[in-house]
Amino acid sequence: MTPIYRGIVALVLFLMLRCMFREKDFWKQVTGALVLIPLVLRLLLLK
Amino acid sequence: MDWFWPEGFYTLVMVGVFVLGAFALKLPIAVAMSLAAVSGAVVAGDGIPLRHLVEGTFGYLDTILIIASAMIFMKTVERIGLLEAVAARMIRRFRSFPLLLSLGILLLIMVPGMITGSSTAAVLTTGALVAPVLIRLGVPVLKTAAAIAMGAIYGMIAPPINLPAMIIGGGIDMPYVGFALPLLLCTLPLAVVTALLLVYPDLRRFKGDEVALEEQLREMERTPLTPRLFLPILVLVVLLGGETFLPGVWPALGMPLDFLLAALSAFLTGRRWNLLETATSAVEDTLPVMGILMGVGMFIQVMTLIGVRGFVVVSALALPAWLLYVGIATSLPLFGAVSAFGAASVLGVPFVLALLGKNEIIVASALSLIAGLGDLMPPTALAGIFAAQVVGEENYFRVLKHCVIPAVLTAAWGIAIILGASFVAGVLY
Amino acid sequence: MKILRGTPVTALVLLVLVGAVSFLAAREFLAMRVPDVVVPAPGYETHLLSEWEPSLKGTPADTPVYIQAGSEPGGTVLVMGGTHPNEPSSSLTAVLFLERARVNRGRLVVIPFANIMGFSHNDPQEASPQRLHFTLADGSVRTFKYGSRATNPIHAWPAPDVYIHPQSGQELSGKEKSNLNRAHPGTPDGDLTSRLAYGLRQLIVKEKIDLAFDLHEASPEYPVVNAMVAHERSMELAAMVVMELEGAGIPMRLEPSPKNLRGLTHREWGDFTETMPILLETANPSQGRLRGRTDEDLVLTGRDKCYTKAAALGRLFVPYDGSQSIELRVARHTATVKTFLDMLGLFDEAKEVDVEGIPTYEELLGQGYGAFLTPLPLKDASPGSQG
Repeated sequence: MTPIYRGIVALVLFLMLRCMFREKDFWKQVTGALVLIPLVLRLLLLK
Repeated sequence: MDWFWPEGFYTLVMVGVFVLGAFALKLPIAVAMSLAAVSGAVVAGDGIPLRHLVEGTFGYLDTILIIASAMIFMKTVERIGLLEAVAARMIRRFRSFPLLLSLGILLLIMVPGMITGSSTAAVLTTGALVAPVLIRLGVPVLKTAAAIAMGAIYGMIAPPINLPAMIIGGGIDMPYVGFALPLLLCTLPLAVVTALLLVYPDLRRFKGDEVALEEQLREMERTPLTPRLFLPILVLVVLLGGETFLPGVWPALGMPLDFLLAALSAFLTGRRWNLLETATSAVEDTLPVMGILMGVGMFIQVMTLIGVRGFVVVSALALPAWLLYVGIATSLPLFGAVSAFGAASVLGVPFVLALLGKNEIIVASALSLIAGLGDLMPPTALAGIFAAQVVGEENYFRVLKHCVIPAVLTAAWGIAIILGASFVAGVLY
Repeated sequence: MKILRGTPVTALVLLVLVGAVSFLAAREFLAMRVPDVVVPAPGYETHLLSEWEPSLKGTPADTPVYIQAGSEPGGTVLVMGGTHPNEPSSSLTAVLFLERARVNRGRLVVIPFANIMGFSHNDPQEASPQRLHFTLADGSVRTFKYGSRATNPIHAWPAPDVYIHPQSGQELSGKEKSNLNRAHPGTPDGDLTSRLAYGLRQLIVKEKIDLAFDLHEASPEYPVVNAMVAHERSMELAAMVVMELEGAGIPMRLEPSPKNLRGLTHREWGDFTETMPILLETANPSQGRLRGRTDEDLVLTGRDKCYTKAAALGRLFVPYDGSQSIELRVARHTATVKTFLDMLGLFDEAKEVDVEGIPTYEELLGQGYGAFLTPLPLKDASPGSQG
């Protein structure tokens, strides 16, 4: 099941990146950045 | 003063920075929470503890995935026209039975919460389904959202799955057995009262313009409600239900995967919709909440690191016996500002230990009910935020105002059950 | 704050920041994967648990097992620490038996890091320190990790919403699936935590372990603390030991293993093997819910103003006079295990186990834990000794 969930993390991460690059409000981009950190670390199974 | 210094001061700094950031500087709540966490650590002499800040966010990683996937599911059933078609059908079928409709709708809101243990799941599935029905039938938007939020919380607490009760039980090595009746007692009466309070009066009074209503219904029925259109909901019911009712036999896929598979099954309905755009807009809509959870994760980790958490918990336990109940009724929902599950773990367990000697199952059930109110407490207020979102209200505080009376009743009911735990146990068992 | 404009450029800048923060945090998380170094006393053979349960071979669950046999035949005793890596006196006590014991009669089996998958990470929102430092008699410093109660999620993710204990159908909160002490007696085809429990059961059966210790700590506000939990089969011996300990000024609560709480060593090892299981608890403020500032000092000294206040309010189940040092907690475990070893022969002569070299309760309190550790050979001299 872990590979599937890594896939879900990758999906959310990709969608989040898409949002960040379209976002016009800087502070919403910052919010997105906060969410990216744990997603990246779990995707790579570093934490 | 010894007790207050320095942890009380740190508490004020953290709360102060949060308020300043969120309300004076109008920063997003997520950013204000993170800044508050960093300030607490700096003031306590820990510098910027990067490891702790990042580690704290992991407490909500699974929650983020549930929220994102549940929202993708909701946006999908909305885009394929299912939401409106179902609402129209319900209106035609039940509008002449307002009492039945009020009670039925509240129960319907509760069901996904009951089987997943998540108020978010309830709001974003059946909550989204009933919202247009209530609004078309004359229930004001804010009251609709409040009813959805309350129903979702009762669903989260009602059996069979109640995660706060499991967390409290886990803290005192009590297996999750024998909770069904006490949890029904905790939730069903409140659900009925909420239905009668928020939904029934407006439904009964509704004398809409028949012609206009008929026109709206036609509009909503653009997409014919075929069994095939129902597929995503059917898939979700089977997946979530299988996991709950056939444990051990059914594969434990987990909520995020259940929601995504159900969303994907919408491809088989024959309707056309843009998957990528739908999913992106779902993530965009949930981004503030996910960010808040990250901020809250950092905030709790720093609270724990610098001693503020213990200061808060022991201060609550230090209340004199008669105030202990007031403490439970206020601190559990207040701490729920960081999450209902966090409140159950951090405060629920010490409270159940402070109340040892009463029937622990009844006490833990009632505490889980009060902890559930945490999902109404800003800044996280998961139930309130998403309920506002499904009715299209921008400011969720306006929704929360309508939740105040049911919430107070909920806390009072929880306390009453704790006070009468022995009596309740005698009746139930 | 004015709405600052977000552009793809600002997004890119933020991404670079995300990368930098993730990199720095990851370095600290990865530091937890470096195993603790131990120095077994002469006479110990080093094994891996996969020798008893081959499906563990090459997995992160495969934990070291150390066995020392005396020259005279006798019973076999297992001392297991580290079921919950956030309860440090448990693994530290096992390390003490590993580095000090001279076995004259019978056999001693030591597993210092039972759930080794819990030693490689810390629980979110608990703000645990990563390492504990001890100064040795020669002035050198040795470190041990402070881990998590649960298996590292990278090996057991996602957790189910509800964990169902396979043998009993008992339902627990989903995160308990990663709790080794809810996984016993284990299954050969389950997830890693369940297989680890199964491996431990195989070891107990195949090595004919007569007496098995599972060492723990609990929060001071938890009712079962400074306590011993015994299976029916262990009860008579346990009662003898408790009386002996009382005589030595070490008060100990004796609790029967509850029949309806499943998955724990004191229940399942007793029901599924022939051994006499004993679970021991000391009071560890650094894992409690009432604790204040959380750092290495709290773990080592147990000094905490929140617990002091809670004790004054009558909320604790242990006498707490402002501290609960790691020396005291290791000394309680050590003295209890040693008393069991001394009494086992009285209980059944053929099962006598004679072990020398273990410091006494008073010696540990007087000289500190570090005084009884062996200095590391030069090549192992602790690389990551910063907290």
